[in-house]
Amino acid sequence: MPEPARATATGPGRVLIAVYAVFALSATARAGVQIATRFSEAPVPYLLSALAGVVYILATIGLAGRGPRARRLAWAAVGFELAGVLVVGTLSLVDAADFPDDTVWSAYGRGYGFVPLVLPIVGLWWLYHTRPR
Amino acid sequence: MIGALEVVVLVATGALAVFGLLLTALNRPPDRTLRLALGAVVALLAVQAVIAAVRVLTGTQLPETTTFLIYLVVSVCVLPIAGQFAFAEPSRWGGAVIAVGAIATFVAVLRLQGLWQAGGA
Repeated sequence: MPEPARATATGPGRVLIAVYAVFALSATARAGVQIATRFSEAPVPYLLSALAGVVYILATIGLAGRGPRARRLAWAAVGFELAGVLVVGTLSLVDAADFPDDTVWSAYGRGYGFVPLVLPIVGLWWLYHTRPR
Repeated sequence: MIGALEVVVLVATGALAVFGLLLTALNRPPDRTLRLALGAVVALLAVQAVIAAVRVLTGTQLPETTTFLIYLVVSVCVLPIAGQFAFAEPSRWGGAVIAVGAIATFVAVLRLQGLWQAGGA
């Protein structure tokens, strides 16, 4: 009989959730202000910031929840987050003209101490570490 | 922003982060001392927020008033929420959770001071 999954919201997972919650708040609030006050200046980065905010919110909910559905949500959100920071990070360096203002994921999250690059890697490892087996 | 208070707030918030990480490193759950320290830092942040909000609403001109006010709310609210989450599970990781909240608050206060200085006040 396979051993059930360990809850993601215990032990060090709680620190991970706290970091995700902070990023969910800051990315969403930042995008909200940018879109509300000066959307036309840099629509692509501002929409990407909003997308990043939603992804962080979903990852926080998935990691903080219990059961297989929350775990699937966390896998999807954290996986998307890793793809997002890699794709947006690369585009922001290659095609700077489309990124007149920064997003959370610009230059692989340099503006946030590269935490946005490290966070999804840690998140995926934690989901793997606590998987059912 | 408010003279000496902003230095006190930054030092207190930084010390709280170090305290939280220390508890995690020593493998101890968050204790009463940490709870009191958290309360003291939140009280300082609340005083700062009230003074700053009054100054903004009574005429101090800032380039980004909305952003400033959002950061002000964030600077007060993050630590109480982190505290709830940290004390809900009495494990060594509670201290680190509070440290994450304290670091986020520290950054928010730095951004507040940057926005205030951009206003030339």
